[in-house]
Amino acid sequence: MIAAESISTLKTFFRENQIVHNEASSLFGNSGDVVVSPETEEEIAALLKHADSNGLTINIMGGGTKRGFGGLIEKTDILLSLEKYTGIVEHTPGDMTLTVKAGTRFKDLQDYLAQHNQKISLDPYWPENATIGGIIAANESGPKRLGYGSARDAVIGLRTVYPDGKIIRSGGRVVKNVAGYDMNKLFIGAMGTLGVISEITLKLRPIPKCESLVLISFPKGNLAGIKAFAVKVLDSMIEPVSLELLNPALSDKLAGINAYTLAMSFEDVESSVRYQEEFVSNMLPDDAELLISPKEKADLFWHRFYRHIPNGLDGELPIQTEASLKIGTVNLEALSVLNETELLQDQFNVEIESHGGLGHGLSQVTIRGAESDVANAAAQVRQIAEKAGGYAIVKHLPFELRKKVEVWGNKPSYFFLLQGIKTKVDPNKTLNPNRFIGGI
Amino acid sequence: MKAKDRVKSKDKHILNLADIVGGARSILYLKEDLVAYDCDGFTIHKHLPKAVVFPKNTQEVAEIIKYCSENNLPFLARGAGTGLSGGAIPLNGEIIISMVRMKKLISVDLENRRAVVEPGFVNLKLTNSISDKGYYYAPDPSSQYCCTIGGNVAENAGGAHCLKYGVTTNHILGLEVVMPNGDIVEIGKDGIPDAPGYDLLGLITGSEGTLGIVTKITVRVLKNPEGKQTVLAYFDRVEDGSQAVSDIISAGIVPAALEMMDKTAIEGVEAAAFPVGHPKDIEAVLLIEVDGIAAGIQEQIDQILEVCRKRNVREVRAAGSEEERARWWANRKTGFGAMGAISPDYLVQDGVIPRSRLPEVLSRINQISSESGLRIANIFHAGDGNLHPLVLFDARKPGESEKALEAGSQCLKVCADVGGTITGEHGVGIEKREEMRFVFTEEEIAAQTDIREVFNPHNLLNAGKLFPSPGRCAEVKKEMKAQAIS
Repeated sequence: MIAAESISTLKTFFRENQIVHNEASSLFGNSGDVVVSPETEEEIAALLKHADSNGLTINIMGGGTKRGFGGLIEKTDILLSLEKYTGIVEHTPGDMTLTVKAGTRFKDLQDYLAQHNQKISLDPYWPENATIGGIIAANESGPKRLGYGSARDAVIGLRTVYPDGKIIRSGGRVVKNVAGYDMNKLFIGAMGTLGVISEITLKLRPIPKCESLVLISFPKGNLAGIKAFAVKVLDSMIEPVSLELLNPALSDKLAGINAYTLAMSFEDVESSVRYQEEFVSNMLPDDAELLISPKEKADLFWHRFYRHIPNGLDGELPIQTEASLKIGTVNLEALSVLNETELLQDQFNVEIESHGGLGHGLSQVTIRGAESDVANAAAQVRQIAEKAGGYAIVKHLPFELRKKVEVWGNKPSYFFLLQGIKTKVDPNKTLNPNRFIGGI
Repeated sequence: MKAKDRVKSKDKHILNLADIVGGARSILYLKEDLVAYDCDGFTIHKHLPKAVVFPKNTQEVAEIIKYCSENNLPFLARGAGTGLSGGAIPLNGEIIISMVRMKKLISVDLENRRAVVEPGFVNLKLTNSISDKGYYYAPDPSSQYCCTIGGNVAENAGGAHCLKYGVTTNHILGLEVVMPNGDIVEIGKDGIPDAPGYDLLGLITGSEGTLGIVTKITVRVLKNPEGKQTVLAYFDRVEDGSQAVSDIISAGIVPAALEMMDKTAIEGVEAAAFPVGHPKDIEAVLLIEVDGIAAGIQEQIDQILEVCRKRNVREVRAAGSEEERARWWANRKTGFGAMGAISPDYLVQDGVIPRSRLPEVLSRINQISSESGLRIANIFHAGDGNLHPLVLFDARKPGESEKALEAGSQCLKVCADVGGTITGEHGVGIEKREEMRFVFTEEEIAAQTDIREVFNPHNLLNAGKLFPSPGRCAEVKKEMKAQAIS
């Protein structure tokens, strides 16, 4: 419990309404005894410095969608909320770069950029709620990663507040930069365990002139046939920005098609998009069905897609226990991951929605059911991933269950390097303690 | 043992290292053999290594490193030695671990779009090995016909086509690395993305060989684009050319490459081996390449032509044939060397600027040129803002090398001042250690050397690179100038 003196000290550099006592407990943990909401980078630095030199611990939160992602401490002394640290710092349309404060919501950013016909080429879940800082800190990506890459490809500069209050800039404002170590990479996906990312500079892309979604469903569920088709697509000249396979339950939920379905997006000039739709129609296997959706319908599909997994927002408690896992494998192994996780539905009496990128090797499995069933199924998903030569991490699970289901899996052989980095940057384990792999 | 396999040295370290790599044919230690290794593509600073060893596999690399580490011998890795910033120069009389014998293409898996190579494998050979199946490896530094992928990883090499496809780091999926204590670690197993933990893959790529020595690399390979077209545009005013660049990007086109050369650079390329007849009185030539689905190319080319016309272009046209396209690119890609046709010596710089600041930066570089009395040609990856000022000088004239170094450094200062950086693809190496202060504070440099300490605690691996050393910096600068003059 944070001491009263500490709170009085905090009150000397924060206004009354920036510090809130937090009596409530969250289903997802990763909370704090007091919630502090800095409005400037100086305030973030002052808060960290105070905590770090007084042995206090800090959890960091953006929009709160990832409260169920890692972490074995229900409440630290302080919950640092970035909700009041928002806004665009600099946007130079001609350079196609954007610098933004970490607490800015993703959807707000995309809406602003759309006025300039530009966008950030990431497609994370829960865009209305998730903040750009949280997306970068957790290295979130979606199906369109195939065409546009992930956070490590889009971020060109960061300002990170170290636990001792130092502001460390990495990268810069230009799209090509090899001056010094590529420190951006260290903070992307570090789950806030090295510093508080305060500002992010991203390279932007133009909004494509034409977009379409082609859904190809396989009613017979013949996996070998799906694989053969995917290989043919990947080996052809067409350039889908997503090649995401949905399991029947998810496909049913999003598009009303109860069968394995491939979601292929095309984004380019119109002549190219039409050509590619035509090309896919002509290579369609006999047992597959094709549905081409124009932009409006495609938008609706994606709108549902980005909201189908559980999140850590406080709200109505779900009736069932929910878990969500991210699985990484060699690209085409995503097929076998999806196929094998289907069997868990009967084995553990759970509902499973899953999708996997056949061009990038990342799959996502959502499990819903009774608490112990969900925990057992989640553990089984890891075994499936490891059998396929990959890994599984638990992206969302209630706090109590995270004590039973290992979130990050086994430590890698080079764990000493990860630990060495943590110890150099955050020796007192002030920030997001125990949130990351191996208790980092 | 045959006579030629015998090592003629009394130095126990030479003898022991020779044992590790299998005898005299895998080690160089005589002064006359070592001279070729006293510098890389950055020739202003030279130092002899203690020895050069040629391991054949990861195990030998690990044993060499373990030996060096236990005996406190400084060491570094070297690929083809084409680096332009001095990253492979044995400043401290290092043992050079040459990777040229580790040059196998280990495996290709086109279905999963990946290939595994040893570090000594030459960049262009990868594309050549898979092009018959319609695939290629995207990063294309100008030296790609001879530079190694291991070196590309160390330097995070770029190239003309990284505007659309990214630089080396965007194409590296996995690495096997020998740590400075001899441990072998595998990062990004099988090329699987987003391995849990900090992104060491991204950190090691571009670390200029100071965090570990890479012994195996999993890279992403891409499908060849179906279509490709290149446009050439001549501008009377650099401002118009520069504005056209911004307009093309703002129009929502993502060109595969967007290159610019200024008047002095044009004079150079036209006097060299691959002239294409660019007019001598224009201020800027643009080379714009679009690739992708063939059906969509013409739409984009038409738009580019229109944009250029709106910006007072003197002449603009798309290549009439593949042969013409190839000639334009040969003229551009040999641009650095072409400066030899109009100047006895030249110094390449590698700044990056927000591309919208180009006219202002060029005018300040012109000012540096007139103040120093040296001509400066500009070759520019305009799409991504990577500017290569080429300072032309004559090393035989007393004081001119020194002036060229100073002018190069001033150009980088200009880039840093407009919000850019000091190197886009050549690396810091020895050359730009001091200029690191143009872009980073002492605290930020310390944050980076803190990370180095985790990997390379005794700093035996490639010491003295990348970062300014507070006490020695003034002295080194003086030494560099002295060498440049001699």
